[in-house]
Amino acid sequence: MIAWIYVTMYTIMTHEHSVIAFSNVEKYFFLQHQKTLKELVQALFIKQKTLERIHALKDLSFTVEKGECVGIIGKNGAGKSTLLKLIAQVSSPTSGTATINGKVAPLIELGAGFHPELTGRENVFLNGVILGMKESFIKKKFADIVQFAELNEFIDMPVKYYSSGMYMRLAFSVAIFIEPEILLIDEILAVGDTAFQEKCLQKMNEFKKNGTTIIFVSHSMDTVKNFCDRVIYLQEGKILYDGETKKGLELYHQK
Amino acid sequence: MKLFAHWELIKHLTMREIKARYKQSFLGLFWVILNPFFQMLIMSFVFSHIMKVQNLGVPFPIFLYAGLLPWTFFANSISNSMSILPENGSLIKKIYFPREILIISTLLAKAFDFALSTIVFILLMFWFHIPFTAYMLLFIPLFALQFVFTLGISLLLSVMNLLYRDVQYLFTLILTLWFYLTPVIYSIDFFPEQYRWIFKINPMAVFINAYREVLLGGDAPNWASLGIGILVSGLLFIVAFSIFKKAEGMFADVV
Repeated sequence: MIAWIYVTMYTIMTHEHSVIAFSNVEKYFFLQHQKTLKELVQALFIKQKTLERIHALKDLSFTVEKGECVGIIGKNGAGKSTLLKLIAQVSSPTSGTATINGKVAPLIELGAGFHPELTGRENVFLNGVILGMKESFIKKKFADIVQFAELNEFIDMPVKYYSSGMYMRLAFSVAIFIEPEILLIDEILAVGDTAFQEKCLQKMNEFKKNGTTIIFVSHSMDTVKNFCDRVIYLQEGKILYDGETKKGLELYHQK
Repeated sequence: MKLFAHWELIKHLTMREIKARYKQSFLGLFWVILNPFFQMLIMSFVFSHIMKVQNLGVPFPIFLYAGLLPWTFFANSISNSMSILPENGSLIKKIYFPREILIISTLLAKAFDFALSTIVFILLMFWFHIPFTAYMLLFIPLFALQFVFTLGISLLLSVMNLLYRDVQYLFTLILTLWFYLTPVIYSIDFFPEQYRWIFKINPMAVFINAYREVLLGGDAPNWASLGIGILVSGLLFIVAFSIFKKAEGMFADVV
């Protein structure tokens, strides 16, 4: 009984400090086999399967404390992006609870919020408000954002004339000025030149020092090794390993 | 609704729609005005010189324009709304904001077009010496009502088109039929009496008749049929909005 109270108290207390707390999270979604009504009608006639329930995440429980830097690794289809969607709160768990305490900033994939016809300047504002910044805040930070992106001369040019490196630099620069409590990084560092990658890693280390929680999804095990103190290794929607990076990577390479 | 908290996002997304379009083409915003204007010229020529329409009380061009502008807003809003969710798939997968914002800003951008074309309409009113009356101010609440109705349909169809991507083609067909069942290019008096009940249950017919009554007739609208319009728009919006909000959780999984 005392032990039970102790455990409960402990869970409550730790959850209060945790920025991310998942308990028994299950995620199902329906995979549509037909993308059009025409295909659907055909499928109904020949009694094909129309929807398939996919069990994407199975009984996930873990907590992430403030300031931790967690790498999420696993093969394709292991549930990494589904997990990221739950943390970003764009998707909700089928059962169980996923508690997120703090402002989440995703590093959006290349130019998701960008419009090619608009100038760099217009896109900074557009992307900024999409990420949840106030317009007045972006105005204040604008010079810093442009400087970090090293795009001073090009900022009033439509971004369709940008190279992919410039594109990415601008996207990254907007996202880091959001001052997030939880930063989600999904392979974004794969693009761009090495000098800028270096600069981003430096910035991310700065974040780490300042106590920002970072969730890092990558196929580049080197970056994970250098950067994360902890990895969560997913396989077929289950946590295979959750702990220190070195051991997790060993397990990953064995498979 | 927390829309007030997101008004900056709504503003920037609306501006993205508007700016992107005028930057894309040489004539830019002029297309917005020229398109319905030329449509009106062509139709006026066909109907007043070839088919010989008579007894409308006002010149045919302005009679037609008063119906064509609300219809253009309606049709363009819906067809743009249907593709807006798939187009912004990468945003939907990464970051949360109330998704109806995407639809609302699409409609606001179309409302901007509507306002621009209204300038030409006002010039035409001068040209044809249509007297200005206080009833014309009713045009504003009328547009608000049409906005709510259009928003309801757009919310509903955007969800359907996200699930089955050919809904937009199907609806384009329905829209053509709907156009001819709405007194845009003709007056209801030309319709056989036993079928006129169609205009009572078709909210677009109710709106367009009301626009003509307050703008061209210098008279009060038919309150009884407008009442039905208000009821239908309101109910449709409530149902559509709750369906949209229910479905919102799975957007990130299916987009």
